[in-house]
Amino acid sequence: MAIEITVPRLGWSMEEGVFSAWLKRDGEPVRMGEPLFAVESDKVTMDFESLDSGILHIPYDAPQPGDVVAPGQRLGYLLMEGEPAPEAMSIPAARAETVARPGKAPVTPRARRTAGELDVDTAALRGSGKGGRVREIDVREAFARKTEAPPPVESVPVSPLRRTIAARMMRSRENTAPVTLTRRVDATEIVRLRKQWKLRGETPPAYTDIVMKLAAVALQDHPLLAGRWEEDRIVLAQGIHVGIAVDTPHGLLVPVIRDVPALSLEQLAARSRQLIAAAQSRRITAADLEGAVFTITNLGAIGVEAFTPIIQFPETAVLGMGTIRWEVVAEGNGVLATREQMMLSLTFDHRVIDGAPAARFLRTLAALFGSPYAHCGR
Amino acid sequence: MTEQSCFLYRTMQLIRVCEEQLARCHARGLIHGACHTYVGEEAIATGVCWRLRPDDAVFSTHRGHGHALAKGMPPFALIAELFGREPGCSHGRGGSMHLFSPEIGMMGASGIVGPCILQAAGAAYSFQLFGGDRVAVAFFGDGAVNNGAFHEGLNMASIWKLPAVFVCENNQFATEVPFQYAAGNPDVASRAAAYGMPGIQVDGNDVLAVAEAAEEAIRRARSGGGPTLLECKTYRTRAHAEGMGDYTYRTREEVAAWRERCPIRRFRAGLITSGEATEAELDAIDAGIREEIRKAGEEAERAHWPRAEAAAAHVYAARSRAHAPEPVVDSSPRPPISLAAATLEALDYEMERNPRIFVLGEGIGARGGNFGTTAGLFAKYGAARLRDTPISERGFTGLACGAAMAGARPVVDFMFIDFLNDAFGEIVNQIAKMQYMSSGRLKMPVLLRGCIGIGHSAATHHSGSYHSIYSHIPGLRVVVPSTPYDAKGLFTHALRCDDPVLFLEPRELMSTKGAVPAEPYEIEFGKARVVREGRQATVAAIGPMVQRAAAAAEALAGEGVSVEVLDPRTVSPLDTPAILASLHKTGRLLIVDEAFGPCGIGAEIAAQAADAGFNDLDAPIRRLNGAFAPTPYSPTLEAAVTPPVDRIVAAIRALIEE
Repeated sequence: MAIEITVPRLGWSMEEGVFSAWLKRDGEPVRMGEPLFAVESDKVTMDFESLDSGILHIPYDAPQPGDVVAPGQRLGYLLMEGEPAPEAMSIPAARAETVARPGKAPVTPRARRTAGELDVDTAALRGSGKGGRVREIDVREAFARKTEAPPPVESVPVSPLRRTIAARMMRSRENTAPVTLTRRVDATEIVRLRKQWKLRGETPPAYTDIVMKLAAVALQDHPLLAGRWEEDRIVLAQGIHVGIAVDTPHGLLVPVIRDVPALSLEQLAARSRQLIAAAQSRRITAADLEGAVFTITNLGAIGVEAFTPIIQFPETAVLGMGTIRWEVVAEGNGVLATREQMMLSLTFDHRVIDGAPAARFLRTLAALFGSPYAHCGR
Repeated sequence: MTEQSCFLYRTMQLIRVCEEQLARCHARGLIHGACHTYVGEEAIATGVCWRLRPDDAVFSTHRGHGHALAKGMPPFALIAELFGREPGCSHGRGGSMHLFSPEIGMMGASGIVGPCILQAAGAAYSFQLFGGDRVAVAFFGDGAVNNGAFHEGLNMASIWKLPAVFVCENNQFATEVPFQYAAGNPDVASRAAAYGMPGIQVDGNDVLAVAEAAEEAIRRARSGGGPTLLECKTYRTRAHAEGMGDYTYRTREEVAAWRERCPIRRFRAGLITSGEATEAELDAIDAGIREEIRKAGEEAERAHWPRAEAAAAHVYAARSRAHAPEPVVDSSPRPPISLAAATLEALDYEMERNPRIFVLGEGIGARGGNFGTTAGLFAKYGAARLRDTPISERGFTGLACGAAMAGARPVVDFMFIDFLNDAFGEIVNQIAKMQYMSSGRLKMPVLLRGCIGIGHSAATHHSGSYHSIYSHIPGLRVVVPSTPYDAKGLFTHALRCDDPVLFLEPRELMSTKGAVPAEPYEIEFGKARVVREGRQATVAAIGPMVQRAAAAAEALAGEGVSVEVLDPRTVSPLDTPAILASLHKTGRLLIVDEAFGPCGIGAEIAAQAADAGFNDLDAPIRRLNGAFAPTPYSPTLEAAVTPPVDRIVAAIRALIEE
């Protein structure tokens, strides 16, 4: 019986990837555990090991390197010795159109000639012909834009990571109903918590680590905010894995700390330092970028008080941390006190949860700010 | 010795010695292709040619060395031709089977059995048309008498009393197939009765008997008494071709017995017995001939080779005169006339000024042609120039070939191109190649006309469009007009140019009317017409599709789509530069042709455009053809096999969206 080789899910949020290469040849024997093929997800290329043994059969209609593939899509078969290949599914009708990708679209001879004459780079053009074929009109229009445009603006090329970030942001915008709530919380106790570490001569945890720890506790009481909308149901998280938005020289990366409630604050801080360093140097693996159910983003260090963070789709909520500063607080009876205060900005997907329950999450979190020690022991 | 005896003896001996020399040369490798010798049959060519003049025409067979020499070709020209040298009688283009020397009336040997009979009838037709007393002779073997050309050729020669002599050299084998086996009536001479002409049988190895019978036949032909069939019984005593085995189909004893009946030895013995010549005199003649042939052979071996650059010369006639230009302004505006009337006007005008033009066809005489293509001309020019024919398409096409070789300008009116296919071999093997094979010494102004195209439930034998097939053949011009104006100019040019022309009129357009200047004018071949200018796509449409393509372009213009429509007008030569120029402008090319797609003119245009116009292409080249199926009768089926306007519109639209 032929064993199907299918595209595996690369991570929690992977919906499609790009098939990179076979690592075995058609007809070659494959042993279980040997690298079989590679697929590229948003950020990294991964080799996949064979789950079974057999002789690799690559059907004529199998995806080609560069093709976009979806999890579960058949790539090929493992056959037993002498076993006939299963009938191919269908004649590929429009191969040219499926492989048409930016920069790789076919260019008509006339368009190529015209591009040469007008010094237009066809690789940067979106073709208006069938399957994205670049035609003369596309070249002439590009030339017209080039010549009519006012003095050329300075531009920065878009890196693959930038492109990915852009796509993810648009996906979030297009697929969620975001609402942002802000709430002032008293940060005095968490400031004091850090000071205690310093007094002991230890490297204190980052505010982000402390807030993450507290947020993870609050999420256990408000599980919908860590759920995922799947049209007919809301899937609740099996573990509280929390992403931290990291500002790297290349752009935003969101490494994920797994099972935050199980980690002590010290363990959490160590783990976050390690992941942030890996993200800054771009040595982070795909596994460490996948699987978050909630994300924390901190702009407080740069002086921002409140903002509207964007949900890391398909998560449901993202918590933004503002700057901590002394403020005068009226304490009743006409007494004015100065307290260290912070604004929290929670953006959530209104499809999943309504405003009041989301606000109640913030209320829980605010309470935890007042007494963090129970959860932030060593 | 009398002049006759001297000619007969000397000619036979010349043929014999030359053939034996050629056989030796073949063995030495000096002859590159086939070599069919005439050994044993010398008396026939010699006896027949004795009373022929240089201006009489001889049409020969694949075994033609003897005919060439007897008609007066110098042995050197024959030997050099077989050696493949430039001074050979066909300048190295022909070899043993294609000996041409029209200046002495040697109108060509041929590798195809049969056509020489039709061509002799055609030359005879010309001679009769021109007046005078010239005679055309066809030599052919027993193999040819079971071929349709024999039947059709002798019948036409008989009904029109043509000055022709049909000489059957019955050597008893068609290659290796015995005539006794292959013939239901092995008495060839008796077959003459079937055609109403005299049939004479003589001993082909008796040169005096041949000469006497031929003289009588030639006299009859010259004096208007019509054709004669002369059967000369003989035997070839060498193999069919040099180097071939000879004893699978006949015995050594039989060949040896016939060698004993050698016509030369027999005639020599007679000369000595009668005291007309002595052994010594004849020996001296023999020695002289041997020396002559030896020298010719040596000279031929030294002769230079043809230049490779000349390999494709003489496919078409050289242009020798200026043509009548198209009128800039029509000097005499008049009501529009139909396409059929336009060609009739051209034909009438040319027939009046050129007495060498005559028309052949079924019903083109008093009836004036099925489509009125000759209406009124019979009364004006008479039966000899408007010749109703039997339904012998191959026959009268071959006859037209011979008539053109002898200087006439035949117009063959087929009504439908479907009928022309019965004459395929005569067109492709003979008419198309004759100028080339004769190295340009023969002109072939044959105009073959017939209707093409689907419509009116004509069904599959009256609706073909075979222009692509003929455009594949070098030597032919293939014209497909689509307007009365073009038809007149192209037809006039066809009647004035020296090349064979297929003039294929779209039947569905025969009665369409258009403005046509009254004065004569020519449209040169290979000049496309821009039917409509446009920017976004080029449509090259053939014949009946031109109007539909123009209608499609008009419909699209309403949507703001700008389409250029091109009518190549002739598919051979094809105006590739015009197509490329249009493609350069538009970037897109659709070819619309009602004919079958595979290997058609559309494929040729597409290939040329993809080659020379590659960098102009902004979309794939598309073709729209009729269905790859015979034409059905029922209107619903018929409509489904030809591209209608809406499909052309859709094809253009799809092309622009590519």
